[in-house]
Amino acid sequence: MSDSDSGRARGVLDRAAAGMLEASVLQRLAIATASTVAALAVGLLVVAAAGYDPAVFLRNVFEGAFGDSNAIARTLKFTSIFVLTGVSVAIAFRAGVFNIGVQGQFVVGGFATVISILWFAPMLPEGAVGGVALMVLGTLAAIVAGGAYAAFPGALKAYAGANEIITTIMLNFIAVGVVGFLVEGPFRGEGQRAPNTDRIPEYVELPQLVYDVPDFSILGLVVALVVVAVVAVVMARTGFGYDMVTSGHQEAAATYSGVDAKRTIVKTMTFSGMVAGVAGAVFAIMMQGYYSDPGGVATYGFDAIAVSLLAANNPLGVVPAGLLFGGLDSAGTHMRINSDVPVQLIDGIVGLVVLFVAAPELFRMAAERTGLGGEKR
Amino acid sequence: MSVADYAARNRFRLGSAVALVAIAVLAVALLDVPLGDIVTIGFVERSLRAATPIALAAIGGLYAEKSGVFNIGLEGFMIFGAANAAAAVWLIGGDSATQGDLWLAILAAVAISLVYAAIFAVLLIRYEADQIVAGLAVWFLGLGFGPFTAVIIWGNRNSPGLVGIDALTVPGLAGIPVLGPILFNTSPLVMLTAVLAVAAWVVLYRTKYGYWIQAAGENPEALDTAGVNVTRVRYAAVIFSGAMAGLGGAVLLAHAGSFTGTGDTMVNGRGWIGIVAYLFGNYNPVGAAAAALLFGGLDMLQIQFQTAGIDLPNRLVNLFPYAAVIVVLTVWGSTRMPSAVGETYESEE
Repeated sequence: MSDSDSGRARGVLDRAAAGMLEASVLQRLAIATASTVAALAVGLLVVAAAGYDPAVFLRNVFEGAFGDSNAIARTLKFTSIFVLTGVSVAIAFRAGVFNIGVQGQFVVGGFATVISILWFAPMLPEGAVGGVALMVLGTLAAIVAGGAYAAFPGALKAYAGANEIITTIMLNFIAVGVVGFLVEGPFRGEGQRAPNTDRIPEYVELPQLVYDVPDFSILGLVVALVVVAVVAVVMARTGFGYDMVTSGHQEAAATYSGVDAKRTIVKTMTFSGMVAGVAGAVFAIMMQGYYSDPGGVATYGFDAIAVSLLAANNPLGVVPAGLLFGGLDSAGTHMRINSDVPVQLIDGIVGLVVLFVAAPELFRMAAERTGLGGEKR
Repeated sequence: MSVADYAARNRFRLGSAVALVAIAVLAVALLDVPLGDIVTIGFVERSLRAATPIALAAIGGLYAEKSGVFNIGLEGFMIFGAANAAAAVWLIGGDSATQGDLWLAILAAVAISLVYAAIFAVLLIRYEADQIVAGLAVWFLGLGFGPFTAVIIWGNRNSPGLVGIDALTVPGLAGIPVLGPILFNTSPLVMLTAVLAVAAWVVLYRTKYGYWIQAAGENPEALDTAGVNVTRVRYAAVIFSGAMAGLGGAVLLAHAGSFTGTGDTMVNGRGWIGIVAYLFGNYNPVGAAAAALLFGGLDMLQIQFQTAGIDLPNRLVNLFPYAAVIVVLTVWGSTRMPSAVGETYESEE
């Protein structure tokens, strides 16, 4: 290749990279990809430093996430929950409200689902019709409970100036403690050895259409995608969504145009908590079938923060990000049995993803340093 | 803020504090709570022990925030401090570690925290990372890699019994009634924390370095004009905050005597409570330590309730500190932050 050729190729590459850095959507996609790759790379370094074989680890991750139909069903199961909790986080973050309490709202919602289904079950006919009615009632209960549990810190932020990051984290601890106490004592199922509620009736379940596994139905994923679509439309096409996003990004302008910023905060939190409630309902009905001590329930609401950030808090972007995290969690489940690498590594990698997403400047500077992106910026 | 404003706010603070005390007194009187069984010398001593990790993290956090950087990663740094101190004491002394090994391990944990905090500071200051998101990331990293370390070493997220710090008995002074057992026959880390809190106050309010830190957060332009490098001041404050939180985690471990990595780990929100402690203490190191004592006391109520025969489920009593945090934030929520917090500063040379 001649010098001028390589120069031209370089120019094309520079322009492409520069264009990518400019284009907002592409840029965010690039940052998300770079963050994920960088996090996995650091994760592999840690694996190697701890004395394991990174190649084996990587193979375990892929086998665990997509290796066979069981693995895929498991990945999609976790994905359904991550998409829902991720959208819940995205709603709040988009509006500039840091709802770190999705985990708590998810727990409270799921518990409300189980309790209301157990309570209504004797009043309704058994069988498919009753099952659907109970699922609807249970989900409504979760939406109300999750929404209310998020509205509370929203109101404290709006009207008393209490930092929502800290209040929602405290409410996570309180949700786990109180629900844990309730399933240990007052709501413990009869004859249950473990601190669990009674099981919800057999007929209250989503039908197995594609995968024949007990704790996942493709309908769970469909519910998640429908919620994504609804949220995306609300955020982009309604006055409420517009108020939410503008007051998050340009509070002064929003206030000037007559938006009540305080009420918007409360509404945003409520909306976010309602979606977290749906996530809790899907988890309770599809995955568990009863409620256990939430101290032992996986931290879908925490990891959702990473899901949402990776998606640049875009409701649609949450779908691929949720798939990535679903795959990671699924790989973790697989590794627990088939590998001696501690699964806590997966949590660490989640942290690394968040760290890299927090510092996009890192990649911009790296791109500049290597010459990609030319003299832009 | 005008003087009248300030007075009004303080009146509000004072008023709400009085109201809280009144409610507490009323509750004690109406419910016939055996107060004497609850507020014992042992309780005060335990509360002080429980308060030290929170106070250390809070002092670190307020230095960072005073300098204009919000270190929301205190919780994560505490987890790393505890896990690294546990790992270090195991590597140095195995299952028969001595007190000397423990002190060495605490030092090692602080040294490692310094390195982590330096990386964190570079990301925040040089690479202008989002302070909230990066701080959350530190927490996530701690929740992942803290227990990961434990599993690598012990094959379990919890360590076996390691070594706890011995009480330091000061001959003579320990015999003083009430004060003796509380201050002179307890963990030496309690006294260390008290000394650090006072030292942090002196540095912040009585030395030029303290004024630099305050100026970096309130009016970076003026500090820059005066010829002091704002970025360097902020680096120092953030690294200090990470090291203090790491020390807090190590102290927590030294008091507990073993590492717990299940759930939200043994730190269990203490870093977040630390943030609230310095807000409550109005960014004053001594005030923050006092606020930490409040949360430490609430944390230790459970034992008192048991000995006093008050029958409340543990699971619920354990939630008191978290509930108190929400009350404090609601009543004192609008604390005045340094004006330049969260803004990156670029010197115009």
